[in-house]
Amino acid sequence: MVSKTEETQLSNLETQVDNGGGGAWEYLCLVRKLKVRRSDRVLKHGLSILNDLKKRSSLGPDEWTLYEQVAVAAMDCQSLEVAKDCIKVLRKKFPESKRVGRLEGMLLEAKGAWAEAEKAYSSLLEDNPLDQVIHKRRVAMAKGQGNVSVAIEWLNKYLEIFMADHDAWRELAEIYVSLQMYKQAAFCYEELILSQPMVPLYHLAYADVLYTLGGLENLQNAKKYYASTIDLTGGKNTRALFGVCLCSSAIGQIAKGRNKDDKESPELQSLAATALEREYKQKASDKLSLLTAALKGLKVSS
Amino acid sequence: MGGESRYEIAQDAYMKIVLHALKHKSSAVNAVLLGRVSPTNDAVEITDSVPLFHSHLGLLPQLEISLILIEEHYAAKGVNIVGYFHANERFDDYELSGVAKNVGDHIYRYFPQAAILLLDNKKLEALPKGKDRSPVMQLYTRDSSKNWKLAGGEGSSQLTIKEPSANAVLLDHISTEKWQDVVDFDDHLDDISKDWLNPELFK
Repeated sequence: MVSKTEETQLSNLETQVDNGGGGAWEYLCLVRKLKVRRSDRVLKHGLSILNDLKKRSSLGPDEWTLYEQVAVAAMDCQSLEVAKDCIKVLRKKFPESKRVGRLEGMLLEAKGAWAEAEKAYSSLLEDNPLDQVIHKRRVAMAKGQGNVSVAIEWLNKYLEIFMADHDAWRELAEIYVSLQMYKQAAFCYEELILSQPMVPLYHLAYADVLYTLGGLENLQNAKKYYASTIDLTGGKNTRALFGVCLCSSAIGQIAKGRNKDDKESPELQSLAATALEREYKQKASDKLSLLTAALKGLKVSS
Repeated sequence: MGGESRYEIAQDAYMKIVLHALKHKSSAVNAVLLGRVSPTNDAVEITDSVPLFHSHLGLLPQLEISLILIEEHYAAKGVNIVGYFHANERFDDYELSGVAKNVGDHIYRYFPQAAILLLDNKKLEALPKGKDRSPVMQLYTRDSSKNWKLAGGEGSSQLTIKEPSANAVLLDHISTEKWQDVVDFDDHLDDISKDWLNPELFK
């Protein structure tokens, strides 16, 4: 998960390195720190450092981290020869290493040798049954082969043991959403919100899932979580602002027939609409008329 | 409704969605297809496309907002939503997902000749090696029993690209990594200064 400032920092560095302005090592460190997937660039810039003896030796012990990073990037780009070479270097330096064993398993995966990769991972797990990375590789393999139900089963088993792994909860939620299993996805986001209540992304995703599930109660809850997202992001999250408007409209439709106090106070939606119009006027003025028409259609006026 | 409709997609509309899929190689992506029924014959002309999302394709709020804004923009030009494009996450996955069918069903309610196009990864991969002029996607249309059926073979619907050299132009764009410039609705919602109309993309 990357914040907007981190994203800007990353793309600035990226442009700088791409245009020959140096900073390759800083870029590679940032990619590692943020855990983003920029494999083609990591491969290109990482190799340029590794193939230059002077640059390589100036890295000191970080040289091996770079070999590992480039190996993984190479596998992602299907440059399997490069990956094999990097892993060979690492194997020579660290002959007993389980970490290198993992890379060898990943190389088998990259080649599509699923059964052999499975064997390699199983034997690594025998010695170290709590290796989180290998557990997740097995889930990834199941997903990569299209066995989504197996992937879900294993991911659930993994989360029973490692329930603090937020990335795993997010991955599970995304798999559920792709299969339209929204109730299960909602459960995942509930776990995430419980453990990290100040992260707006989870509130937003939860609200999206609730809205998709539909029904008055879910819509009312969705609206609450869009509101909390707006709160946590200082009113700057466009999706949450739209979400409030969509919820108000949908709730209004359902509550039309009823005479209960499900009629909401209109302040929240008019505030959201105002905020949206202000944003569009500032940053996307050519789309402002579309927005105004859309909000009108949702029967939301500022 | 007979089984055979002709669909013709304009070069820019075609390239835009393929490039979008290439921009997000490790995710599923989708797009909306716009156009009209040809006044002369009965073919559906897909004149434009808007790339939608590269994450959480199965969630409604962003889909609803995007369709509202897109319809609003194109209605003024007499152009409607005529179909949906989907690219699966995995290379060898040729299944039409529930999400794709649901969006297709929704579009069908307003446009009975609606089409779903599914990216054909193997065809896309083979593009540089041959001189294939056919589009790198599969066409699905609704049959009488309300199922989405794959088109193919004689007597069924077909999809062609309006400009015969489209694949050559596409390959050129791929080699220059043109996909970096494609903006989708996800990008717009993250930063509304990014324009989902992609007005300068092929200029």
